[in-house]
Amino acid sequence: MTIDDERLIAYADGEGGEAERAEVERALATDPELRERLETHRRIAARLSGHYGPVAEAPVPDRLAALLKKPDSEVIDFASARITKEQKRRLPGWGSWGAIAASLAVGVMAGQLALPGRGGVVESRQGQLIARGELAKALDVQLASATAGDANVRIGVSFRDQSGQYCRTFEAGGLSGIGCRSAQGWNLPITHSSGEASAQGDYRQAGSGDALVMEAATTMMRGEPLGPESEQKARDNGWR
Amino acid sequence: MATGAFEDEMLALLPRLRRFARSLARDASDADDLCQLAVERALKSREQWQPGTRLDAWMYRIMRNIWIDEARARTRRAQTFAPEEDGMNVGDDGHEAIERNVAISEVDRAMAKLPDEQREVIALVLVEGLAYKEAAEILEIPMGTLTSRLVRGRQALVQMLEAA
Repeated sequence: MTIDDERLIAYADGEGGEAERAEVERALATDPELRERLETHRRIAARLSGHYGPVAEAPVPDRLAALLKKPDSEVIDFASARITKEQKRRLPGWGSWGAIAASLAVGVMAGQLALPGRGGVVESRQGQLIARGELAKALDVQLASATAGDANVRIGVSFRDQSGQYCRTFEAGGLSGIGCRSAQGWNLPITHSSGEASAQGDYRQAGSGDALVMEAATTMMRGEPLGPESEQKARDNGWR
Repeated sequence: MATGAFEDEMLALLPRLRRFARSLARDASDADDLCQLAVERALKSREQWQPGTRLDAWMYRIMRNIWIDEARARTRRAQTFAPEEDGMNVGDDGHEAIERNVAISEVDRAMAKLPDEQREVIALVLVEGLAYKEAAEILEIPMGTLTSRLVRGRQALVQMLEAA
């Protein structure tokens, strides 16, 4: 008696009634080649669950959990922060970039921004805003994919801009923006201050600023945001 | 149903939804975008969910439908822009994606090469661990269709992952 792949796979998946399973088992007992095929299918199944399983064990990113933790009105703001290919198609190149930049508080006064008890995170050099202190350090080393929930600085996405330099969106206290790595350090072409340092996880304040920053990132971006592996690689190469 | 219970149940489901999204989408960032779209759609149409029925099945269906819409749009674009495509890159949508895929795992690559109709079945049965009947209901296809797609998908995975 031969057992075809359909029956064998159903057996491997725990499907089929008792009689069917018993029949497959009888065939397995006498047919080494069939046992081999069963093992192959089980190996593949184990490999898939081994590969995707950890996703369900990992912490859920804030932006997803936040959709379910806030009042509905906030959901809309947050939704607009999502970077999708569709958005990128609608906002090609730098066309709408100027308008977005103008709507942001570009040129936050240097020195005004500080993380509680940790000193300034922004300084001005020749009219350029540059990240310093804890913000500069986070932009240097912190991975978006591995930002702890209680970190002072949160990194959103990392990407390459049109000129090829690495840029990263961040949120630190009441300040959100984009840092781009140049020879001088992390320039901050885009910053948005909510006016006061907000408590951790207070999306009401961060909401619209984050959306604008994300939208700006979308238009600055060349190609796709960096995935976890390429982000780590870029960091290990010093963002060069 | 008390306000908030729906959200709580959804929150509890999020890890599994992310896993399902991850097995459908090409990479982690696309997967979380897909997850976000599904949650947003669910919140908008929450009155269509009947309390007492399985929220997970309802969410799987919503996510799968969004993914299929997006996959179809992608296919249309690929046909428009790359009619000469030799078929080697089915499931990809251009050089950017291919470059990005250099670093992704063999499993991701193998899944990406499966036709969508096989990938979704594999994702529900092998990754999410649903019974055939549950998966068939979510996909709204007959059992026979489900099993034949599953068998073809698994055979293709064996070819791709064990041939080397």
